[in-house]
Amino acid sequence: QEKPAMLKLSSWVPAQHPLNPSLLAWAESLKKATNNTLTATLFPSEQLGKAFDHYDMARDGISDFSYVNPGYQPGRFPIIAGASLPFLFANAKGGSAAIDAWYRQYAAQEMKDVKFCFAFVHDPGTFHARKKILLPTDIKGMKIRPATSTIGQMVTALGGTNVQASAPESRDMLERGVADAITFPWGSIPLFGIDKVVSYHMDVPLYVTPFVWVMNKAKYDSLSLTQKKAVDDHCTTEWAERVATPWAEFEFGGHAKLAQPGHEVYKLTPEQLKAWRDATAGGEAQWAEAVRKTGQDPKKVMESLKASLARYKAAL
Amino acid sequence: MKKNFADRFINGIEWLAAIFVGIVALNIFVNVLLRKFFSTSIPDSYDFGRMLLGILIFWGIAATSYRGGHITVDLVWSAVGTSRRRMIDVFATLVLLFVVTVQTAMLFDKVRLTYIDHVLTYDLNIPTWPFYAVAWIGDVCAVILIAIRTWRLVFRPEALHDEHFEQKGGE
Amino acid sequence: MNTDLLALGGFVALFVLMLLRVPVGMAMGLVGITGYAWIAGAGPALKLVGQTSMRTVTDYTFGVIPMFMLMGAFVSVSGVSRELFKAANSLIGHLRGGLGVATVLACGGFAAICGSSVATAATFSSVAYPEMRRFGYPQSFSTGVIAAGGTLGAMLPPSTVLAVYAILTQQDIGKLFMAGVIPGLFAMLLYVLTVMVIVRVRPDWLPRGEVKPWAERAADLKDVWAPVVLFLFVIGGLYGGLFTPTEAGGVGASGAFLLGLVRGKLDRAKIKHALLSATRTAAAVFTVLIGALMFGYFLTITQTPQKLTEFLTGLGIGRYGVLALIMVMYLVLGCLMDAMAMIILTVPIIFPVIMQLGFDPIWFGVIIVMTVELGLIHPPVGMNVFVIKSVVPDVSFTTIFRGVLPFVATDICRLVILISFPMIALWLPGKMG
Ligand code: NA
Ligand code: NA
Repeated sequence: QEKPAMLKLSSWVPAQHPLNPSLLAWAESLKKATNNTLTATLFPSEQLGKAFDHYDMARDGISDFSYVNPGYQPGRFPIIAGASLPFLFANAKGGSAAIDAWYRQYAAQEMKDVKFCFAFVHDPGTFHARKKILLPTDIKGMKIRPATSTIGQMVTALGGTNVQASAPESRDMLERGVADAITFPWGSIPLFGIDKVVSYHMDVPLYVTPFVWVMNKAKYDSLSLTQKKAVDDHCTTEWAERVATPWAEFEFGGHAKLAQPGHEVYKLTPEQLKAWRDATAGGEAQWAEAVRKTGQDPKKVMESLKASLARYKAAL
Repeated sequence: MKKNFADRFINGIEWLAAIFVGIVALNIFVNVLLRKFFSTSIPDSYDFGRMLLGILIFWGIAATSYRGGHITVDLVWSAVGTSRRRMIDVFATLVLLFVVTVQTAMLFDKVRLTYIDHVLTYDLNIPTWPFYAVAWIGDVCAVILIAIRTWRLVFRPEALHDEHFEQKGGE
Repeated sequence: MNTDLLALGGFVALFVLMLLRVPVGMAMGLVGITGYAWIAGAGPALKLVGQTSMRTVTDYTFGVIPMFMLMGAFVSVSGVSRELFKAANSLIGHLRGGLGVATVLACGGFAAICGSSVATAATFSSVAYPEMRRFGYPQSFSTGVIAAGGTLGAMLPPSTVLAVYAILTQQDIGKLFMAGVIPGLFAMLLYVLTVMVIVRVRPDWLPRGEVKPWAERAADLKDVWAPVVLFLFVIGGLYGGLFTPTEAGGVGASGAFLLGLVRGKLDRAKIKHALLSATRTAAAVFTVLIGALMFGYFLTITQTPQKLTEFLTGLGIGRYGVLALIMVMYLVLGCLMDAMAMIILTVPIIFPVIMQLGFDPIWFGVIIVMTVELGLIHPPVGMNVFVIKSVVPDVSFTTIFRGVLPFVATDICRLVILISFPMIALWLPGKMG
């Protein structure tokens, strides 16, 4: 007879966010696979702890599973930060499979305090601005709310100023001119009402934010062999893609929603894109330096990521 | 009244906390000026701001705990006689001492892990643990001061000078 | 042990500890963590202590609290309240009840640059009370009008209580501040009307003050520029796109400091006093915030907010019935604790109910702050009344409460009107887009 257990799943996005139903479907499948012995309760909207603490919460047993944005703690997870470098990911579906397959090699080293379940990304985000941004030189003098610390460093390197704010605060900051632009995925722009205050959208997959879904180790160890197997079967590259897909589709749908009068969605020419790649190359050097300190070879790590992206048809 | 070690200690702590609150305001003010007029900002102004806030609050809690300045419910306390009041005060201070001691121990753990986990600031990539450590020292001071308060409450009640939280807004 | 019973036990333990004068924040933290450990084990519970404490005190958005407190402290020590009262008094003090109206107006002016109700009441106890007594106003009326006028501090922007409500419920601080403007001005109007009614009923009660020559009036009025400049700068900057709410606090504090310095109203001792008072009040409030978060995590894993929502919506008393029930609860709690503590403790539990019932979150913020502020002045216990008593010790509690009663009555009318016409609060923030 299996010992039944109740799992606390913690997600810091608000209840109505498209990620939450995916996580619930994942939990439902896990429940079925364990003959209803592993049941789960999802706590969204930071009910169990702040977004920044979700990794520690899984480590400390405050939650059994946590949805983590490793980028919230710059410096702590240098390897996975490579995925947040600009101009790597073309889409989130293949991209989620690609980051998961790639990061599995390093997760045991970099996230050793927890049981790594899977990694995924959101649909690529870009600049949404009050004025048109075409070239990296346009960033000079602009006030931008960056999505990740990697993008923040890119903005500073290009002569812009970072303005930090939570996602709900962002709209007001843009409206009042405290910020001129924001880096955000597409579907979230109308969701937070930001479409009312910005009109220029650079249609290029600028960046993605990597996320992981991790488990408390002691909880995993306390499970029976069949339960462990069921959990392992739910911590796979396939599941990474499955969980990420509805959110990816939601964000991708933002392209259509923003293509309307009053908004300009514009592509970049190959030359312009090259200018961006050249101007942002410094970020990779900085990242490589941090990875070298972990004992990994940054060149090999990056090649591996690019190979994985190519394999899952998500390379830019 | 002659100032002894504890009084000077508490004054020093309060002064440090007060200076930090001024620095937080200054950091914000300068950052807004730079952004408005020079389109630039103090690097890591956001991270510095929030970590200084942490320092000022923990150091402030030390002073507040000692002065009896916390927000309390005085309904029963103000309705009973002097000896019962003292019993309530001693009980409340002992609970306070217990809670803050546990908090200080667990904050040490938090500072230690921040050091091990190598968490950096957003812009300049400076380690954050030293800021957390300074904030934690404020909590250590809180434990020491509450211990002094408990001792005075039991043995030398006349040496205490409580100031209630509400009474400081005035001119 | 059943989680419902555990949550109930938690509330009982919390109230016992609070009544034994354990600081509110510490009591919430202790009960929250103990309850959490009961369900989830001691290891995670202890980790939660370190994590919650550190995360709360280093949360940038909470920086708005000490910053607006510092701004209030600087304007208090630079004598702005005295100048405002002098100006108002000089204009209308010679009318019957004029000193009372002047107190209300000066409180309103002061409230526009100070975020705290208690600080406003404390300030005017030392500024307006002696004047009213000098001209023969009764003790009860004089203290009553100050207690009521003080509550304007939390209604008119900036307001620390409204800011904390906004952060806890993830609403826009700027919108909430705007939502407080018309209800705050409306409150002032009603207080003025109350004074005029009292003049009608008891003409001998509120004698005339002195008539001042026009030259002197002009001289008294000219000092008012400083608070006006500060208000326009801070609130104008907040809406004009110069800064975020936290920045508005920091810039306001710096501005109040500079204005005080330029006008020669600040010396070393006063600066020290302002810095210390902001630090102390901020530390006291953050202690409650940390404790309330820990208590909140305990309630979350017992799923109390969901169960409470189901229970209240299942009562069959309609949404306004539930709202009335909630407000009665706040009035009762108002007998026990301070406005900030009450908001921090209850809003995370009550807010899901309000959302479920389909009420507007901005409007509810205004309603709840008004209700809580009413708790600060209604008998048998009220924080503003305590503060006045501590500044003017020779007045008895009964006398103050007697004086405050007419204002409590108008406050209740105002609440009913605001609940019936939510537009009063929502019109202005709606204009902000
Ligand atoms: Na105010
Ligand atoms: Na009351």
